[in-house]
Amino acid sequence: LSIYLSLSLSLSLSLSLIYIIRTLHSPRKFDCRSREKETFSCWWEPGSDGGLPTEYRLFYTQERLREVRECPDYVSAGANSCFFDKKHTSIWAEYTMTVVATNALGNASEEFRITDVMEYVKPDPPVNVTVVVNSSAPSPFLEIRWKSPPDVDVRTGWVTLKYELRVKQNDNIGSETFFNFYNVYPGLLYMVQVRCKLDHGKWSEWSNTIFAEIPKNHQLEKYFWIFVFVFSLVPFLMAMYIVLLKRNAVKQCLLPPVPGPKIKGLNAHLLKSGRSEDVVNALMGNQNFPPVAAWTEQVEDFLLVSDSDEWLLTDSFASEKNKDIFIIPAGLHLGLEIQRRDLSVDLNTWEKTDDSKEEAKSNFSNMEPINLPVEKHEFLNGEEKSIQPLASTSYVDIQQHPTLTDYSRVKEVNDNTILILNEEEIPHGLDAEEVKSEVSVPDDYSRVKEVNSDVVFLEKGDSADGCCKKKEDHYTDWTNQKPIMPLESELSKGFCLKMIASGYVDSGPAFSVK
Amino acid sequence: PSRRTEILNMHLEPQRNVVYLVAMCRAVPVNDLLDRASQRSDKMHSLSTLLTQEMDSHFPPYGRMQMPRPADCHTSALQTPNDKEQALQVSESDLMSLARSLLQAWVDPLAVLSTSAITLPHPSKSSISSKIQELQEHSKSLGDGLDILSGKMGPSAQAISFLPYTGGTDLGQDRVTILNKFNFLLSCLRRDSHKIDSFLKVLRCRAAKLQPELC
Repeated sequence: LSIYLSLSLSLSLSLSLIYIIRTLHSPRKFDCRSREKETFSCWWEPGSDGGLPTEYRLFYTQERLREVRECPDYVSAGANSCFFDKKHTSIWAEYTMTVVATNALGNASEEFRITDVMEYVKPDPPVNVTVVVNSSAPSPFLEIRWKSPPDVDVRTGWVTLKYELRVKQNDNIGSETFFNFYNVYPGLLYMVQVRCKLDHGKWSEWSNTIFAEIPKNHQLEKYFWIFVFVFSLVPFLMAMYIVLLKRNAVKQCLLPPVPGPKIKGLNAHLLKSGRSEDVVNALMGNQNFPPVAAWTEQVEDFLLVSDSDEWLLTDSFASEKNKDIFIIPAGLHLGLEIQRRDLSVDLNTWEKTDDSKEEAKSNFSNMEPINLPVEKHEFLNGEEKSIQPLASTSYVDIQQHPTLTDYSRVKEVNDNTILILNEEEIPHGLDAEEVKSEVSVPDDYSRVKEVNSDVVFLEKGDSADGCCKKKEDHYTDWTNQKPIMPLESELSKGFCLKMIASGYVDSGPAFSVK
Repeated sequence: PSRRTEILNMHLEPQRNVVYLVAMCRAVPVNDLLDRASQRSDKMHSLSTLLTQEMDSHFPPYGRMQMPRPADCHTSALQTPNDKEQALQVSESDLMSLARSLLQAWVDPLAVLSTSAITLPHPSKSSISSKIQELQEHSKSLGDGLDILSGKMGPSAQAISFLPYTGGTDLGQDRVTILNKFNFLLSCLRRDSHKIDSFLKVLRCRAAKLQPELC
């Protein structure tokens, strides 16, 4: 039995030792906060309570109040808290708080002292933070606006709110609710936050972050393009200036003269009527064309017409190749007094100046220049020919004898003049062998290069085509009328006179226009 | 008289020359004076807050329980409004009187603090000393300005409650006592400077009813 008793005793002792010692600790950590200098809340952290349900109560005394009061509101500020509303809040007054924890294990209390509620003032962050990028000159900036926290009463002067701005750097604002932030760069993204401090208490938390982006500044790009433009303009202007100086050469290169089949004196209306006979007659007059020998060769033809022997061939001329003698119909014989004139003007210069033509005109003392549309009389073939311009045109119709059996032989042709050998009759179609000189008499016709109002110009050229093609710009000077396209095909077949310096050569049928 | 010269020498204005002319030509409006006064009081409160923080940074409170209670401040006897409703119900003259009384009560203690700061056993004593000197200057100029203002507000504004400082010129013998006393005085100063600032700002807002931007 004693053994049983001792065993149970030791067992009960040990069992009592196993009991968990539970104690109640007083609450720890006391903190308070006032948002607007009108109310405040305090929180405590409960100590260990042994796992038992514990009740906490807060009692306080104020500096001036002798009585002890209990917390007016345990609920509004959350668990383990006490909320002091406006009636129970005194600024600049000391509070002595006593928090008492009670449970089955007993009581535990702790005293906390609040020297001044102002020490715990911490407002809410500002609200309605807006950021607007203001792109006005001279440089863009951020327009930042916000509102004071909703609880704080700023209208009475009881509280003074000061703000602080954070845009990647802190800016202390003072009491305004807006700020213009100028330290921005184009193309960058900025974050803005605002916080506030009540009187000289603690800073509130930072408000929500607002983002703003500065638009890219295209001004630098503008300057760049202006720079490029100016620097490319200078060579361009220089090129234009050079082109302007050499415009003639450029013109020649880029815009070769287009042959325009213009015949002075041609009646456009006549052409429009469409009757080819009318057109042909208009151009050539009522002539009976001699039978045309086959135009075989392209030959370079010269024609020298002169009334004197002095114009006979010089050596220089004789040595030239491609001399041909043209059978000039008798009707063409120029009994005119062709003034001898040494027109040493190059063919090349013909094209350039019209003055040479004027010279030629002026040298015809025996001839009245035919000024279109005036009707003039021309002396051709020693006979007076009436040259009747067409009705409404300035075209000169040179009549000829129907028979063109009289030919004059061309003695010599140089650049400018055509020598007519004599008036001997040369049978039509004579061949070249009968020519004494080296010149041969082809049975083809001279080609008229150009006819203007006064003078028929015959020209030396390499070939028919060549002569017709060369110096084509002359043809454009013929008339101010439209080029006669339908005629071109008919007339250009074989008749291409060469240019002579003076006098007229009636090559017969046509003034070829090409 | 000396008052008039004091007016002209008022440190409230940033440029004395301007004040000279203005004072002779026309009176500065009350709103403007109140604004300058509240700016001055705000500066004072800011300085006193910085001072307490500077003290605490190196010298933690010597146990809050052992410290003298705010009720022991030499100005605690003065009845002042303690919340917004009370403050808004006090008349302008009374508010002005309260501010002036508090300000006057700190003239002597500030002098004591100023002399003690030079030999304060604290690592930041030079910074503390300069702040206290600055506080003294602000206090002086604010007092002068409030004298002028109260003169415009009537006799009740000019009444000052007498709150003598009885702490003596010596803060203590040992380092702990000195530091404790210093700390305690600074905390009282912080509270009173905040009261002055709040009362003047309420006054400023009330006087500037036509200019909402001040409030």
